[in-house]
Amino acid sequence: MKELLLKLEPVIWLLFGQGIMIGTMLLTAWLAVVGVGIPLGIVPADALSYDRAHALGANLIGRLVLLALIALPLWKGAHHMRHVSLDMGGLDRDTVVAPLLYGIAALGSLLAIVAVVRL
Amino acid sequence: MARASHPHAMAPTRPGRTRTAAPMMPAQFPLSGRYFTYTLFGATGALYLLAGLVALRVIWALGSGPAAWQSVMTQLAHPLYVLFHLVTLAAVIFVGVRFFRLFPKAQPAKIGPAKPPPQPVLHVMLYVIWVAVSGGLALVLAGGIF
Repeated sequence: MKELLLKLEPVIWLLFGQGIMIGTMLLTAWLAVVGVGIPLGIVPADALSYDRAHALGANLIGRLVLLALIALPLWKGAHHMRHVSLDMGGLDRDTVVAPLLYGIAALGSLLAIVAVVRL
Repeated sequence: MARASHPHAMAPTRPGRTRTAAPMMPAQFPLSGRYFTYTLFGATGALYLLAGLVALRVIWALGSGPAAWQSVMTQLAHPLYVLFHLVTLAAVIFVGVRFFRLFPKAQPAKIGPAKPPPQPVLHVMLYVIWVAVSGGLALVLAGGIF
């Protein structure tokens, strides 16, 4: 497992880096509007009525943005949490923690692909 | 005072011929001094992971039809969801500010014949891109454009 993780490290680092860079840029808007603005009534709810939301998300650019919005933060989160665990003396438990966290990120990314394809 | 770290932390795969001191955990780690922001930066990973999973749930509902979409939007108005999203928004801004400050310092002096722009210029460029991407997407989501 340790060897496999070392081999995958460049790919994981790429996804982690893009999770910080692109994920942060996309999440800022998503959280401000969908997570806070609409629930608090700052943004009118009909801005994301089903028809409008579907029209925005169901084209090629919309699907790619939504895929990045879901998948990249998952990889940023998984890699950072793994390293917090390592920093807290978790070298011995890394053979469980790393596959678990990267497994969640990988499964979430696959489901994200399915989610944007079925729009 | 510094304390013992994991005995195999940073250990090379094959021991070298030169004896090295055992790794020690810095005394201020994890929550004192400069380690506080370092640990906080790492801990935002949990919020990013959860935010990604919530976004997955929302987009999955969008693909399931109007009833599922309406249901998930109603759930997002729950105070716990709003609190989570507020905390995560603060964490995302913290990550952006910290990362975009570190990014220019981490650039190589040269990539082939090309030199990266001066650090302050790169720093400003990152903020411009962040504001443009986030502002543009927020306008689209809020119905300001399109």
